[in-house]
Amino acid sequence: MANRSTQHRAANRDTLVNNFKDQSKKEGRLQVRIQSINKPIAIAATAVFLLAITAILSLSQAPAGGQAGGRGGRGGGAGAPPGAGAGAGAPAIGGGAGRGGGGAGRGGGGGGRGGGANAEPTPRFADGTVNLGRAAGESYGTWDLPYLQNMGAANVVVGAQAAAGGGAGGGRGGGGRGAAGGGGGRGGNGGNNPNPIPQVRGSAAEPWVPFQPWAAAFYDYNQSNRMKYDPEGQCLPPGGPRMFATPYPMEIIQSPETKRIWMVFEGGTHVWREIAMNGRPHPKSDTIKGSTWLGDSVGHWEGDTLVVDVVNFNEGTWLDYYGHPHTDQMHVVEKFTRPNKGTLHYEALIDDLGAYTKSWTVQWDIPWQTTTDKKELKEYICQENNLYLNHLKDDLGNSFVPH
Amino acid sequence: MSKKMISLSLAAAALLVISAPLFAHHSFEAEFDRSKSVELTGIVTKVEWMNPHTYFYIDVKDQKTGKVQNWACEMGSPNGLTSRGWTRSTLRVGMTVKVPGSRAKDGSFKINASNVTLPDGKSLNAASSGEQGYTGQ
Repeated sequence: MANRSTQHRAANRDTLVNNFKDQSKKEGRLQVRIQSINKPIAIAATAVFLLAITAILSLSQAPAGGQAGGRGGRGGGAGAPPGAGAGAGAPAIGGGAGRGGGGAGRGGGGGGRGGGANAEPTPRFADGTVNLGRAAGESYGTWDLPYLQNMGAANVVVGAQAAAGGGAGGGRGGGGRGAAGGGGGRGGNGGNNPNPIPQVRGSAAEPWVPFQPWAAAFYDYNQSNRMKYDPEGQCLPPGGPRMFATPYPMEIIQSPETKRIWMVFEGGTHVWREIAMNGRPHPKSDTIKGSTWLGDSVGHWEGDTLVVDVVNFNEGTWLDYYGHPHTDQMHVVEKFTRPNKGTLHYEALIDDLGAYTKSWTVQWDIPWQTTTDKKELKEYICQENNLYLNHLKDDLGNSFVPH
Repeated sequence: MSKKMISLSLAAAALLVISAPLFAHHSFEAEFDRSKSVELTGIVTKVEWMNPHTYFYIDVKDQKTGKVQNWACEMGSPNGLTSRGWTRSTLRVGMTVKVPGSRAKDGSFKINASNVTLPDGKSLNAASSGEQGYTGQ
């Protein structure tokens, strides 16, 4: 039964993939035309654009790393000085040349957060359990989720550098950003910028992601049309690990007495996850399999690590903005640790043999935020007035929604 | 260095200070064309302070023909705008504003605004998805 539905899906996808390939070729021929800008302004604008891009890249958020000291890569680092990070935190180790010469090392030194929350120990409850949220009496504080667009980036996928073989330079992370602690600034990114200006590079640039052929084609298609069908653009929930890569604040609220943990998200649409900590198994797969956006989560503690097992995802979401797919066979094992007050380390095993040939793991750090406007959750109801959906047309030029 | 160059350099400096990558709720490149930059000056006719994008509409008069065209201007979410100094009453119907941005790919009268200059000369960042550049082909 499962096999038959998988085959059926695969057949559908083959048809789609062929259509996608045709479309991708057409898209590939498109050239950007510079219009309606006269020459001197164009030159100045180009200079400004380059400056701006440099600024954006050097200031952009680096999901991995971030804490003073960072998880800086130790590869052949061509680490530039920290970006705007003027904090007093210890510098990250190295920066990193891009893999195989694909982009020289940029940034590298995680500025740091001026001591701040990273110098403080992991908060705990009276029984010693790690507290993944605010401490008693703490008025503000959220996890400031990074904007991580590509789950297949070399410094996000565990083991990617090794898989890339010779020439691999930067380690994972290397970037840093100020968060808690007034002295914190945003540091530079690591060699493989996890948050680059999106480029159409596709599956071929990610040999460490174990794509099945249809998944690679699906991914390449999404890149070729600039991710226009991204479910998040339709205000659907990020789902799966992407929940932690969508840049809005998030809180984790533990309730030991009821044996539950809640993860409350401001974006990409106002949703929450409930994690059962009472030892119950997942519901039978034929009851809710493939029917939920965020999956069914059961968790337990392994020492100071919260381990959460998630199944029963539907296929309505992508793994990331770049468009890595997943199927309803996806099983995710998440590990949450809080090595110090200012850092949540997130790791997720993506086990989906419907789309990938083997499981793979992604990881990044999430900073604790107590000082900016992200110090508390705000309402964000994405569905309020999503005109994008009204404007969106499919590849045949038809409107996505009738209006 | 011309005035234009100086102001552009200042703009770049400002970007260095304020820029943080903003969440592109939807794909910028799917809807807008970065190479079609325009600067509109017009009178605000409607403001939609709403998620996921705040929109406002302005009447822009063509200097040559005198014809008035209503344009839609997309900005970021209210949360994003608030963190950049906006309030829900910053922009009001009847105000004359200057708005640089990128035009819609489909040629409709719609832009992704990069900032808005208010009647008092104050310029506020539009927290727009276009801030996160995309230079794919």
